[in-house]
Amino acid sequence: MTPFLLLQALVLLGLIVTAVLIISFKDLLAAAIAFAAFSLLLSLEFYLLQAPDVAIAEAGIGAGLTTAIFIIAIRGTQRHEEKN
Amino acid sequence: MKMTKIVRTTADLFFPFCLVFGLYVVVHGHLTPGGGFQGGAVMATGTALLLVARAYDDVTGRIRKGAMKACEATGLMLFLLAGLGGLFHGRAFLGNWLAQAGGLFGNRVELGANAGDLYTGGLIPLLNFGVGIEVLGGLTVILLYMLSGIKEEKK
Amino acid sequence: MRNVLFSAILLLFFGGLTYLAVDLPFGAPRATDMDDYFIRNAQAQTGANNVVTAIVFDFRGFDTLGEATVLFTAVLGVGMMFRKLKEGEEYEND
Repeated sequence: MTPFLLLQALVLLGLIVTAVLIISFKDLLAAAIAFAAFSLLLSLEFYLLQAPDVAIAEAGIGAGLTTAIFIIAIRGTQRHEEKN
Repeated sequence: MKMTKIVRTTADLFFPFCLVFGLYVVVHGHLTPGGGFQGGAVMATGTALLLVARAYDDVTGRIRKGAMKACEATGLMLFLLAGLGGLFHGRAFLGNWLAQAGGLFGNRVELGANAGDLYTGGLIPLLNFGVGIEVLGGLTVILLYMLSGIKEEKK
Repeated sequence: MRNVLFSAILLLFFGGLTYLAVDLPFGAPRATDMDDYFIRNAQAQTGANNVVTAIVFDFRGFDTLGEATVLFTAVLGVGMMFRKLKEGEEYEND
């Protein structure tokens, strides 16, 4: 196993872990930050697959703007998920 | 939810660098990876950083809704006019009538792999710039509208 | 019982898809006429060193115009949703 493949395997593992974290957090602000980490890892994976255009777009839109919109929405509503 | 002083200072410090990097990606769209949409998204991320860190009334001095709307409309208009210009030069709509013609952005390009010349590409840098400021204006206007709507509900 | 049946059908479906996808060559598309044409002629025809941008803004420029229009329309929609209500005006669906 070459170091390149090992790096890709680590990034993909991190993607799965952050994706599980997003749906398991009850604190919505923490979930938004986990989503930003997910987008950052996804953009790193795009870069490793030699698609720098998509990587820049993903880092800008996914990690930057979407997180900002989520945080503004949380600021206007409430921070914690309601218990059922 | 008020942000701390650390967050506000960092956002103030990063805001101009974000704008400059986004503009770099837009202007070098025909030479390096990236382009209008990506660069505009990076610039909009800079404004989003400022909007998240500060209250709505704090940022309206630096980011104005009217100016951002004007940016958006100008970008789309520039795209359309640059495309329509091809019709007056015997080309199709959006045909590249400026490429390698010696005029605006019209330098001859060296074939093969090279570092590139900024003054090539013909129509492509113009369209890149149009899309770039359109994306910056559009995404910032969306964020400003969301923020102002939240402010009204609090009252 | 229904859950077991549902899981079995799902497993069969995705197993079949995976079995069929194993034979596909990765990174070596069958039809490459269009790609070869773009890679060979993009620099000479558009004068841009970045082939991706040359395709997005020149060969497929009309597509990008549609994308820009979609963004413009989305901003218009958000503006209508969050606009200030006039004095005495109410939302229709309340």
